[in-house]
Amino acid sequence: MVKIEIDEDACVGCGSCVDDCPNDVYEMDEEKNKTKVVKEDDCMACLSCHEICPAEAMEHKDIHVAKRLYIDRKVSGILKKII
Amino acid sequence: MEYQIEREEKEILGDFKPELIPDACGGGIDDYEEALHVLMKFVGSMSSALEQVSGRGANAIVYQAGKRMGHEAGKMVEKTDELEKAMQELSEILGVEFFFDMWKPTNQTEYTVEKGNETVVKLIFRDCVVRQTLRRTGLPQKGPLCYLLYGYTVGAVEEVMGIKGKLDIDHVGPNACLKTLTIKWGGK
Repeated sequence: MVKIEIDEDACVGCGSCVDDCPNDVYEMDEEKNKTKVVKEDDCMACLSCHEICPAEAMEHKDIHVAKRLYIDRKVSGILKKII
Repeated sequence: MEYQIEREEKEILGDFKPELIPDACGGGIDDYEEALHVLMKFVGSMSSALEQVSGRGANAIVYQAGKRMGHEAGKMVEKTDELEKAMQELSEILGVEFFFDMWKPTNQTEYTVEKGNETVVKLIFRDCVVRQTLRRTGLPQKGPLCYLLYGYTVGAVEEVMGIKGKLDIDHVGPNACLKTLTIKWGGK
């Protein structure tokens, strides 16, 4: 079962995740002007919301994390030295 | 003096006889990774160039290529007209690199929906080499390369079930893509 956590301190209330989610998992909490999770069970863990969220305010737990074969270890190694 | 290309890696030397077939490909994980990334870049560039030259026709070309592959792969497995069994066989054909599941929203009771002479099932592709390739080369999803997988899936299902099928994209994401497989009963 997918578990989604929203960091309310980080969420800027832009509503991008609400617009982008194909299964209407999110809704805007008009009072707080933050995103809230309303249909967690319908989340298919596509993680489009992660990609679109400017604040990286969400976390998905217990999902199938797709293999990231595109990661170049040489580049990652260099980046790790810099960051 | 003869000019020699300088390389960091040491050249591997060994004996070769045509009748000696090695048991495995050989090489370490770094070799595989590099080969995979080079292939990803090649395929990505090819897809992008194809789109540049042929426009939207690129999708049809790649779809046809995928479909042919799917039909060939489908010949290897047992024929069935049961959708669940066909999905199981499709998962064997596509392998772990195209890890998919059937998917339904919570308000739907069954995975399949009957619509006249059609059966509709939603498939969620969680692992996909095509997606990895697109991300490696910085190309958008839903492009010609995605049609290779659509063609492959449709070709395999058509071959296994002996029917006509089509696949539509519902949503693409960085971690999973949702597709709708429509099976048209009543022969090809």
